[in-house]
Amino acid sequence: MKEPAPIVFVIDDDRMVREGIQSLIRSVGLRVETFASAQDFLAAKRPDAPACLVLDVRMPGLSGLDLQHKLSEEKLSIPIIFITGHGDIPMSVRAMKDGAHEFLTKPVRGQDLLDAVQKAIASDTAVRKERVELSEIRARFDSLTPREKEVLVLVVAGLLNKQIADRLGTSELTVKTHRAHVMEKTQADSLAHLVRMSEQLKTAALRK
Amino acid sequence: MRNAHATASNLHPLIRYGLALVLVAAALTLSLILQVPFGNPFWFFFAIAVIASTWYGGWGPGWLAVGISTLLVLYYFIPPNHSFQLNLRDVPFFVTFVLCQTIANWLISWRRETEDSLRRARDELEDKVAERTAQLKNTNQALVDQIAEQKRTEEALQVARTELARVARITTIGGLTASIAHEVNQPLAAVIANADACVVWLSHQTPNLAEARAAAERAIQGATRASDVIVRIRSLISKAAPERAPVRINEAIDDAAALASDQALKSNVVVAMELASNLPFVLGDRVQLQQVILNLLTNGIEAMSGVEDRPRRLLVRSEMQGARQIRVSVQDCGVGVNAQTMARLFEPFFTTRPKGIGMGLPISRSIIEAHGGKLWAESDGEHGSIFQLILPVGDGTEQ
Repeated sequence: MKEPAPIVFVIDDDRMVREGIQSLIRSVGLRVETFASAQDFLAAKRPDAPACLVLDVRMPGLSGLDLQHKLSEEKLSIPIIFITGHGDIPMSVRAMKDGAHEFLTKPVRGQDLLDAVQKAIASDTAVRKERVELSEIRARFDSLTPREKEVLVLVVAGLLNKQIADRLGTSELTVKTHRAHVMEKTQADSLAHLVRMSEQLKTAALRK
Repeated sequence: MRNAHATASNLHPLIRYGLALVLVAAALTLSLILQVPFGNPFWFFFAIAVIASTWYGGWGPGWLAVGISTLLVLYYFIPPNHSFQLNLRDVPFFVTFVLCQTIANWLISWRRETEDSLRRARDELEDKVAERTAQLKNTNQALVDQIAEQKRTEEALQVARTELARVARITTIGGLTASIAHEVNQPLAAVIANADACVVWLSHQTPNLAEARAAAERAIQGATRASDVIVRIRSLISKAAPERAPVRINEAIDDAAALASDQALKSNVVVAMELASNLPFVLGDRVQLQQVILNLLTNGIEAMSGVEDRPRRLLVRSEMQGARQIRVSVQDCGVGVNAQTMARLFEPFFTTRPKGIGMGLPISRSIIEAHGGKLWAESDGEHGSIFQLILPVGDGTEQ
């Protein structure tokens, strides 16, 4: 599957800083969109692409931290690189706790910012890829019948066909058939693969 | 008349009465000597003796001379001679003589009295004038001393006030350190980002000169902005004597607002400006006026720190008030000021803030008054207060 080109959102109320950062990021060939305020960013239509947010902590109206909070409330996962004039520790701790990707102090060295942006985009790409995979796996798992799901749980728990047949009160042959269907429907190459996929789903469920 | 006699002459009474006797004796002698050649001229000599006695001796010696000369005339010159007897024939003559003597004595003493009292009055007047002149001289000297002293005090006060104002500015600046750091840091961030971008654009295989150039220009703009901030701050802490030059009040407001902008941001305060255009300039010290406005802005921002139920809005206004005055007002929507606090607001060392020193407003007021203006505060109902200042416009030219 081909991913759209990554994009960097820059939010800073200072036009000169905004333009400088925009030019810097553009110079390494990345797409950039700038906003003068957090509100503008929220109001804008954002393309579906791997992205990251370069965010000034201190802005009039909605501050950078407020925006982070709002995004996480709306379950919009986008890596955020905070830029702050005076990186006071409590503020950075709060930001990192809330999942800030990076916390840079102003004035930022260009290379540091570019590195942070690259890392953030890589991470977002990975997250997006995982999310796509996950939804594919979920779709496959969702296609299982209730009986097949029961078999799946016991297979993944490490039980032998015979034991599963005993538990479900059916024949070993029936279990074998169900098991084959499960492997086929979930596109599992091996038992190990099946286990891994179900673990992925479990962790994703836990994360929510 | 009696009073007059008491002071008619400074001479001793003995001398005055003696003088009368001597004069009468002299008149007698002359009359006796000249009796034969000229008939009886005694009347003239006795008249002279009485007049002189009264003039020089006063009322008493006068009467003495009148009495004695009457007796002597009666004895020596009214027939029968050498006796006090009086022929009926000579009575009118003798009575006329006595009457003349008496009238002469009375007239002279009256005249003398008038002159004496006149002289006395004149002397008293002169004394009084001299006394008053001396008093006036003293008062005048005291006044001159006082004026000189006051001038020295005023000069000292002026120096102290200027220094105090500067210290207050530095204190204000100190409170704005975070703001200022941000003010300087922001353009520096722009400079670095743009310079970095410029370098990257240039290091492409085919350097993008247009982009590099644009970035470099933005870097220059940023650096200029940073240096403007430094100039602004340096002028606020410099020790220059206050000057009187044309000041555009809106520029002073803009500068002060720029310095307070980060504090406003940090305190989540929106600073709204409604500045009238085409205001005439005011004559004064720009730095000091800036300081006053900065002080009002920071006060307003801090006054709203407890406000949660409404937007924290600080409104700065400038407008004409009549044809000769400019009014600047700073209105907050904070907790307001109660009447008791309001009355003490401009007292030195009065503060409602734990860290305040209570000098901001008194200094601001003294600065505005030194500019011929007024600074006062009003409470705006329950929500907030409004600080207003009025400054006279400078002469002539429009902005």
